[in-house]
Amino acid sequence: MAIVLDKSHRWRVVAAHLGLIAFISLCMFPFLMILSISLRPGNFAVGSLIPDQISFEHWKLALGISYQAEDGSLVTPPFPVLLWLWNSIKVALISAFIAVLLSTTAAYAFARMKFRGKKHWMTALLLMQMFPTVLALIAIFSIFDYLGSYVKVLGVDSHWALILAYAGGIALHVWTIKGYYDTIPVEIEEAAVVDGATHWQAFKYVLLPMAKPILMVVFLLAFIGAIIEYPVASVLLHQEANLTLAVGSKLFLYEQKYLWGDFAAAAILSGMPITLVFVLSQRWMVGGLTAGGVKG
Amino acid sequence: MAGLVLKGIKKSYGDVQTLHGIDLEIQDGEFIVFVGPSGCGKSTLLRSIAGLEEISAGELYIGKKRVNDEPPSKRGVAMVFQSYALYPHMSVHENMAFSLKLAGASKEETNAAVDRAAKILQIEPLLDRKPKALSGGQRQRVAIGRAIVRKPDVFLFDEPLSNLDASLRVQMRVELSKLHGELKSTMIYVTHDQVEAMTLANRIVVLSAGRIEQVGAPLELYHRPANLFVAGFIGSPKMNFVSGQLIAADEKLAQIKLKSGAVVKAAVDARRLKPGAAVTFGVRPEHASIDVEPGDSTMAGKIQVVERLGDTTYFYLEVAGSETSFIVRAPGDKHAKVGENIVVGLPLQRCYVFDEKGQACPVTW
Ligand SMILES: Nc1ncnc2c1ncn2[C@@H]1O[C@H](COP(=O)(O)OP(=O)(O)O)[C@@H](O)[C@H]1O
Ligand SMILES: [Mg+2]
Repeated sequence: MAIVLDKSHRWRVVAAHLGLIAFISLCMFPFLMILSISLRPGNFAVGSLIPDQISFEHWKLALGISYQAEDGSLVTPPFPVLLWLWNSIKVALISAFIAVLLSTTAAYAFARMKFRGKKHWMTALLLMQMFPTVLALIAIFSIFDYLGSYVKVLGVDSHWALILAYAGGIALHVWTIKGYYDTIPVEIEEAAVVDGATHWQAFKYVLLPMAKPILMVVFLLAFIGAIIEYPVASVLLHQEANLTLAVGSKLFLYEQKYLWGDFAAAAILSGMPITLVFVLSQRWMVGGLTAGGVKG
Repeated sequence: MAGLVLKGIKKSYGDVQTLHGIDLEIQDGEFIVFVGPSGCGKSTLLRSIAGLEEISAGELYIGKKRVNDEPPSKRGVAMVFQSYALYPHMSVHENMAFSLKLAGASKEETNAAVDRAAKILQIEPLLDRKPKALSGGQRQRVAIGRAIVRKPDVFLFDEPLSNLDASLRVQMRVELSKLHGELKSTMIYVTHDQVEAMTLANRIVVLSAGRIEQVGAPLELYHRPANLFVAGFIGSPKMNFVSGQLIAADEKLAQIKLKSGAVVKAAVDARRLKPGAAVTFGVRPEHASIDVEPGDSTMAGKIQVVERLGDTTYFYLEVAGSETSFIVRAPGDKHAKVGENIVVGLPLQRCYVFDEKGQACPVTW
């Protein structure tokens, strides 16, 4: 592409770059701030962005390593941050997996099958999810409290209860995936059905492979959602060893003493799995998987 | 290999009825073409045969078996879709092997079947490619190959060539014809293109608005159209129609007075109509002649447009009683200018008479 360009074009490019750089700085600032706080000795929320003195004390604590303070006393990690991180990852992975499983199949039914009241069900699903979860916190707590008296592993203070609660929030994912299915020509699955496939086989061998990118997107969204979720987790999990990182890091900020530095290190840690999953899943999020199937 | 019997097949989508009772028998090994204008229900009928649409009423037999309630996979049919509908994430080989894989065929068996189909369609070098990397014509071949591999009793084609460019279409048409000769399976082919229908079919089924207008061999439809619709649909350019009045009819000949006052004769038996009845007179552009003296069975017209194709020339005439231009085919070097009045001869054995309802009077030759 070598389109002939106007002279003024150069200046517009420069201006656009400046604008973009300003915007990126704005986005990056909070992150850099947190990073700076976590590397600053002591627990101060305010201070210069570039710390005068770099100290890894907060990181050591976050990673579960004791260190010698300046006055000679040994500072031991107050909370099991790595265990919380592991809890978060475990819950997020399993609930994201279940969310994808449920929403792909539900979306298939909504996109391809004929049943009464399909449209209304879709809308109802979305409307119900529109209510803020916070409003239902008491209900969620009492449901799982009650469940726990019958099925222990689904009771309060169990990760499975949290996973189940998260897996319920798939309405948006169902919509997302259905929207993608709708863009895939039905004829391709019909061809599979004439070729001898059952509905299930047409779904598994034909539709699903074409829908990979959107499944990855939904997995990622569900994963991130579970990692950063606070209200439900804070109601369902109580014992220190069971907490997720999002709930646990709040313990650094108790009334009398705000441990900003330790909190910042934990906060950055919680971003790690998200980054990792994002990088790993990116290779699946490619376009053009349905290209060539039908004549457009 | 199997014949088909369709008995009173009806199909409605909600309140809208798309097929109004289709009765048809298709012989084993026949190449039958459903032709009709877009939206007349061809695809719906084909999809009903395939089992992709439930029929609302009627009975469908494939072979000896009633298949109304059988799923597509149990009907022994293979379908080629207008949009190819290849599996985009599979290679050509996998596309063609898919049905056998589902049926649990062994690897050797599958490979043999795929190789045989690839050879017939000359797509052997493409087996490892994805559909994305194929041209339209190649994709169409793969779609056909996928059907062949299954060794179906009945092939169903839904406008398979309509997405190809003109020259490729002609080439594929010939190959489909050959393929039918080789496989000798029953083939049901849907198209809106009457040329495809004429060239491919053993028998043509002309559909209009969910009803069968006429069934017959290509030349039978060409020479003895049952009604105005078929007469106008088969043949290119289409038949000329001029409205007129029946003057006299005996068992061999009918005399018609056209709107312009000219009196013409047609070799049809119009005795079932009363003299004075309003009729439509029809003649094909290729049968009207242009180098004639005014006299019996002739008609005058003013040239509006001249189309020169090289070997032939079409004159578009303004004629009283004809809604559209009256087209006459003449040799390529025939000279005549726009605005000139010319005399058109109407050979009585090539003329048709239709009653007010559009039904043809039987020809007597
Ligand atoms: N799924 C459907 N729902 C409602 N109407 C349909 C559906 N499919 C086809 N039709 C209607 O049935 C008629 C015939 O369609 P179709 O068989 O596709 O025509 P053709 O293939 O001859 O062009 C059309 O009027 C179309 O609008
Ligand atoms: Mg169609």
